[in-house]
Amino acid sequence: MKATEIIFYVLTAITLLSASFVVTARNPVHSVLALILTFFCLTGHYVLMNAQFLAAVNIIVYAGAIMVLFLFTIMFLNLQKEDEESKTTLTKMAAVVVGGVLLVVMVAVFRAASVAPYDPATYNTRVGLVESLGMVLYKDYLLPFELASVLFLVAMVGAVMLGKREPGDRHF
Amino acid sequence: MLPIILLSVFGIVLLFLGFLKTRAVLLPAALLFILIALGAGFLEWNKSYLYFGDMLLINNLAILFSTIVLISAFMVVALSGDFLEDEMAQPAEYYAILLFSIVGAMMMIGYENLIMLFVGVEILSVSMYILTGSDKRNLRSNEAALKYFLMGSFATGFMLFGMALLYGAVGSFTLTDIKSYILLSHGRPSLLLYMGELLVLIGMLFKVSAAPFHFWTPDVYEGAPTLFTAFMSTVVKTAGFAALLQLLSVSFSAIYGFWWVILAAITALTLLAGNLTAVYQNSFKRMMAYSSISHAGYLLIGLAALGQQSRSALVFYSLAYSLATISAFGILLLVAKQHTTDGRPDESYSAFNGLSRNNPLLAFVLAVSMLSLAGIPLTAGFWGKFMLFSAAVDRGMVWILILAVLMSAVGIYYYFRVVIAMYFREGQAGRIRVAPFYQFILIAATALTIILGIVPGLFQNIM
Repeated sequence: MKATEIIFYVLTAITLLSASFVVTARNPVHSVLALILTFFCLTGHYVLMNAQFLAAVNIIVYAGAIMVLFLFTIMFLNLQKEDEESKTTLTKMAAVVVGGVLLVVMVAVFRAASVAPYDPATYNTRVGLVESLGMVLYKDYLLPFELASVLFLVAMVGAVMLGKREPGDRHF
Repeated sequence: MLPIILLSVFGIVLLFLGFLKTRAVLLPAALLFILIALGAGFLEWNKSYLYFGDMLLINNLAILFSTIVLISAFMVVALSGDFLEDEMAQPAEYYAILLFSIVGAMMMIGYENLIMLFVGVEILSVSMYILTGSDKRNLRSNEAALKYFLMGSFATGFMLFGMALLYGAVGSFTLTDIKSYILLSHGRPSLLLYMGELLVLIGMLFKVSAAPFHFWTPDVYEGAPTLFTAFMSTVVKTAGFAALLQLLSVSFSAIYGFWWVILAAITALTLLAGNLTAVYQNSFKRMMAYSSISHAGYLLIGLAALGQQSRSALVFYSLAYSLATISAFGILLLVAKQHTTDGRPDESYSAFNGLSRNNPLLAFVLAVSMLSLAGIPLTAGFWGKFMLFSAAVDRGMVWILILAVLMSAVGIYYYFRVVIAMYFREGQAGRIRVAPFYQFILIAATALTIILGIVPGLFQNIM
């Protein structure tokens, strides 16, 4: 096995383990910490694919800004106490059956699916660099890129509108 | 293309108009902006354009769907006079968000690339989450917004995963590329394609509240301010079905044999769940929420039986449904304001008791819209159902047709409850003062419903 392959398998193992810990951890702070680890592993995958710009952005935006927000929210909410389960056994059973069916279907599909492999000889190694990303973003995907700003504007207007303090009582 | 640019700019202009001391200018400005966008859309009539490297396809079908969306938005904004008097309301922001959300709806209608679909769905959904929670001091509105947001993001996650799988199979996000990939694969496309299609369908069916994914609908529609419920149940549904039609008819028509069974099952489930639960509701608003689920079921027939007739049938049905729904919610807004219990407007059936005595016009408008929703002849709703049902006959789906007809009969029961309350029950409804413009919008919608019901050919000539 080559060195990159070993790195790939190690990274993948850590990614999967930490991602499953995100969902299973009882303490939300542990969840968030595991999520940060997952993001760092994904960054490692980006580096392996020669996408340095995405790797940097992933760390700055996801592992940095978003996770800080997550931690802040959790600390504000003070979720330390264990919430008693509100789901009935029937709901849990149904959820397990539905999730299990989805898992089986997915596994079956991925086993049978064939994805054309890349030929290392002809692979364009510059594909993940910031230059080619800019070319794609500002040439092919210019319209959705610009319209995404409408999305952010809506989100900002909404955040300000909903976040402003309002006088008066709450009612049902 | 022009309406998308115009509406994005107009939304920002509206935000700035909010700085003005007087609020009176906001409503006419918003109406004018929507009218300008409507006119600009027709500049591209009979010309088929692809914009920005296969991102957006504007053809007559897209223009018709956009027109329905814009008409619905125009009517909703026209009925929103109350915001200008309410101290707590922030009309500039509301109108701006409404205009931005139409941008999202138009992207969903004319997309040619799945990225455009995703950004459009997100713009529309985020706007709806915000407007649902816009009645900030109302706990039910807060609950509805949070519920909608959490479930909507979850559904978006499914859709995004599906798009990723489609990209993995095809290597492109463009609808026509997916189509040519399927055609070139000699009936053996990668399994990732099927999985991707299913997940994208699940995400979209959630947005139009089809049956196994409809559980958010009643709570959200009931909790949201009535006006925004009207917007949600018309614009989101029209745009969602336009997007589904585009996806299924352009990309996946070659593997019809794969997905029609799934869609037919979901159609049957939606019809049953929507209509049977609507019977048991005591709140008119909640009944309308279930009725919107059942209408999603009727519209799904047009997709499950995808064929020559489907396009015109879906356009016609969306128009008929939007007109009737908005005028029904418009009347509900007026009537519910009359009685309040614990500071909460009375939205039950009994609020309509004896409405016809002192307010014959309002009662007539609501009666026509109920008849149209129920699909009684001489209203637009009848021809909408007729066209969808004949599309099903063309495909030989008789069992779905029988189920749909049975469910329409169930629908007559709960739609007529309010008509009976208005005309045959005693009530102390006083005379309700209606602003002239509000009245004009209601009359126009009713007239259009009846005209389309008597001469549906008028519309088919336009297609």
